[in-house]
Amino acid sequence: MTRPERLGEFEQLVLLAVARLGDEGYGTTIRRELERRASRAVTVGALYATLERLEMKGLVRTREGEPTARRGGRAKRHYALTSAGVAALQDARSALDRMWEGLELPARGRRT
Amino acid sequence: VGERAREAAVRERNAAVRERQAPPVKRADGRGPPRLVEWLFACTLPSRDRAAVLGDLAEAFEEMASLPAGRRGAVGWYVRQLIGSIPSNVKRRLDGPRALSPRWRGLEALMTSFLQDLRVSLRSVRTAPSFAAVVVLTLGLGIGAVTVVFSAVDGLVLNPFPFPEADRLVGVGTEYPKLGGELSYWENLSPAEYVDVRESSRTLRDIVAWDMGNRQVTIGDRTENLFSGFWWGDAFPTLGMRPHVGRGFLADEIARGDRVAILSHRVWLNRFGGEAGLIGGRVLINGEPYTLIGVMPPRALIYGTDLWIPMPVGPEVYPRQRRQFQLLARLAPEATLASANAELETIARRVEASYGAAMEEYDGWRLVATPWTTINVQQLRPAAIALMGAVGFVLLLVCANVASLMLGRAAGRRRELAVRAALGAGRGRLVRQLLTESVALALVGGAVGVAIGYVGVRALGATLTSLPIPLPGDLALNVRVLLVAAGASVLAGIAFGTVPALHASRLNVQRMLQTESLGATAHAARLRLQRMFVGVEVALALMLLVGGGLLVHSFVRMQAVDRGLDASNVLTMRLTLAWERYDNDAIQAFFQRLEEQVAAIPGVTDATVATQFPPGVFLRQRFFIEGSAPQSDDMLPTAYTTIVSPGYFTTLGVRTVAGRTFDDTDVSGGRLVAVVNEAAARRYFGDGSPIGRRLRLGGAGSDDPWFEVVGVVGDTRNRGLDAAPEPELFASTRQVPGGNQFFLLARTSVPPLSILAGVREQVRAIDPEQPVYAIRTLDRAFADIAAARRVSTFMLTLFALFALALAGLGIYGVVAYAVSQRTREIGLRIALGAEHAAVRRLVVRQALVPVAIGAVVGLAGAIAGARLLSSLLFDIGPTDPATLAAVVALLVGIAWLASWLPARRAARLSPMNALRYERG
Repeated sequence: MTRPERLGEFEQLVLLAVARLGDEGYGTTIRRELERRASRAVTVGALYATLERLEMKGLVRTREGEPTARRGGRAKRHYALTSAGVAALQDARSALDRMWEGLELPARGRRT
Repeated sequence: VGERAREAAVRERNAAVRERQAPPVKRADGRGPPRLVEWLFACTLPSRDRAAVLGDLAEAFEEMASLPAGRRGAVGWYVRQLIGSIPSNVKRRLDGPRALSPRWRGLEALMTSFLQDLRVSLRSVRTAPSFAAVVVLTLGLGIGAVTVVFSAVDGLVLNPFPFPEADRLVGVGTEYPKLGGELSYWENLSPAEYVDVRESSRTLRDIVAWDMGNRQVTIGDRTENLFSGFWWGDAFPTLGMRPHVGRGFLADEIARGDRVAILSHRVWLNRFGGEAGLIGGRVLINGEPYTLIGVMPPRALIYGTDLWIPMPVGPEVYPRQRRQFQLLARLAPEATLASANAELETIARRVEASYGAAMEEYDGWRLVATPWTTINVQQLRPAAIALMGAVGFVLLLVCANVASLMLGRAAGRRRELAVRAALGAGRGRLVRQLLTESVALALVGGAVGVAIGYVGVRALGATLTSLPIPLPGDLALNVRVLLVAAGASVLAGIAFGTVPALHASRLNVQRMLQTESLGATAHAARLRLQRMFVGVEVALALMLLVGGGLLVHSFVRMQAVDRGLDASNVLTMRLTLAWERYDNDAIQAFFQRLEEQVAAIPGVTDATVATQFPPGVFLRQRFFIEGSAPQSDDMLPTAYTTIVSPGYFTTLGVRTVAGRTFDDTDVSGGRLVAVVNEAAARRYFGDGSPIGRRLRLGGAGSDDPWFEVVGVVGDTRNRGLDAAPEPELFASTRQVPGGNQFFLLARTSVPPLSILAGVREQVRAIDPEQPVYAIRTLDRAFADIAAARRVSTFMLTLFALFALALAGLGIYGVVAYAVSQRTREIGLRIALGAEHAAVRRLVVRQALVPVAIGAVVGLAGAIAGARLLSSLLFDIGPTDPATLAAVVALLVGIAWLASWLPARRAARLSPMNALRYERG
């Protein structure tokens, strides 16, 4: 296996959203998850750009769902983490954890 | 390797997705996202993601719409999503999975620098909003004009018909050298000739023939008059269209002349409520029951006919000379227009050989296949070419004007550009930056132009459809029009951006950064360029003004033509009595009674009926004059033949030149009498008086009864204002039948339309089920016949005036700049004692030099180009001196005014202020 990909912050958020959603992960639910949990309002276009990049890096895989009338007869595209995606997320987390270890920051919102 | 494999997998998936993309399922409730926004979104997306993304959006839209903000809020959200997604979508669309190849990396770099240029452009526009607004508005008007004209040309001339492979759909025209040698495609073939072609042609297939007329269709308790086609054959395969619902005629139905009917989409929708269940149901046509079997597709197909029924009898029933049918066919797969025409020529010769002895008109006759589009648009083509040319000039002028403005603006930005150059931007990069800016401005202008065009197209469309002339197509902002508008915008951006960009990027960086002011040479160079633009603007404006002026002059002359009758205060309408309920005697009784009762309506001074009236006289017949030797190489006499009631000439105010017109002594069974107009007397009776001579309708061999000519009446413009009066024969309704269709004409002493209700009441009193239609005043009939000319005259004049305004503004801007550059010099002159008038003259004289050069060039161009307009002109030549003089005077006047205003300001300068003035 090659070295796990480095993840940008937004990429991490998207991967986490995909991971949280399990079988229910597709465009609309991922966007909603990002909005609710991470307070990130993101346009559909930007989200799909990121998802495509993650797919190209081999971190997520996709599966086409069935079309529904509610979606104007269009199919869903479901996303799920690949093992490389899981590894990349774990790497990112442990790097962050190590950086945070024992660190105390001053109070927020200080002005100079 | 892993990366490659993944890439391949993604690509494979994308291909699979594309394949699986089913046509979108029709929304059941029609409550999904607005189509337009969805479509726009789809346009920005890479095709591999379309289904997934649009599906997500549709789903989220539904959710939003159920929130308190409702559909409106959801639409807003959708639009925000669209705008926010454009950058990433477009970028992805452009690079996609291909981004990994070096070629695409290069493109991406270019794209990035383009985006950078665009950002800089936006910033620079923000710093000068009023400049940007002027540029965008000017361009918007120019592109708007292009949009309107092109949509008209596209909808009416280039792509008027919805038929697939429209260029292989042909009509068959006929030309009879013996009858005047005009190629005609209208009521030109007899049933026997149709059979001749149908039976022997191998190059044409799906050959159908049809006649047209009016039918009364009863729907519920309402009777409508519908313009109808009567067919031999099923036209749908010929046209390449399918019925909207139901089916076309079957061969059996045509052969038996069954009572089956097909309605137009608009009638079906508006009067039947568009119910598919009506197919197979009954309608009454002229009181007889018919079965409705189909509905035509939404767009009008054949001359706006609203009802199609099979011809009730076969072609063999008609005499060979009853030429009232049109023929339509498709070229067979292997055939070309040339091979079809070669075959038609042999058919014509065969017919001539068989029947030529008995029917002289077959001598040298021709059958000609012509694409249906050509037949129907050729009279619009000259106007289309003229307007396209004009609008192209308008756009060039807009470019010259904007280029001049950009030069001025670039001058103010030289420090900014110098800083960029100092920081390492090469000249190429600067030019690209400036060009990006102008193209971006042009595209915004283009968007404004499309909006203006949208309004313009709707206005023009409404004007055109209110005219009675049959339009082949309709006007719309379709993809072709939008592409042309976008293309024109980009070209305009490059056209007006190039010169200023090259000019502005020629920098002496060091000096620019050191000193505040521009060098005098830069000013001189800018002024020289701007003067050149003024010359170009003047030349273009002059050409447009000449075009507009010639058309206006033609129009004025045409209105002044003597019509030979008094067209004011006459109301006209048409009635078609159903043969099923009226015979010739009953028709005559009906109209005689109607005429008397209408004449008794208060406000009506005279009333009459006629089979046709000026300017739309169209029924033509052969005739034969007693005692004239039938010479075989002569043209056979034909004349427009009109059956009128005795009051016709007094009602219309037509002069009696000699003899008498019809009166009540001309009765059925008595001596048959005729009246001829002066044109007929001149052409066919030579120097002698026609009075007392006898003539007979039909060919020399006809045994129809003789008519004695009892009077000569003055000519009327019976074929329109731009055609010379044609020979016309009149016979009396009291003596001969005139068919079942008559016009009622009433002269009034009150506004003509005010008596309409009274007329309708009188019609109802005689026959409650009888509709009247084609209601208009005689004045309106004359106006309508010149309508196409009026519209093109109006548009060209509008463009010319816009051009004049632009040229005036351009001159004003340049002179004002020149004056500001010379403030000190002028102040010095005044201080040294120069008169105000002398200063004004100096400024104006200098300003008028490029105007004069432009005017000379423009005049030469106009004289060369006006020939293109000749077919649109009336009674004047393309170099009509009066028009040219008036136009040049107008242009010079405006140019003088535009330079005088800044000159006056210059002359009023106080020398003290002027001498202290710092040049910027």
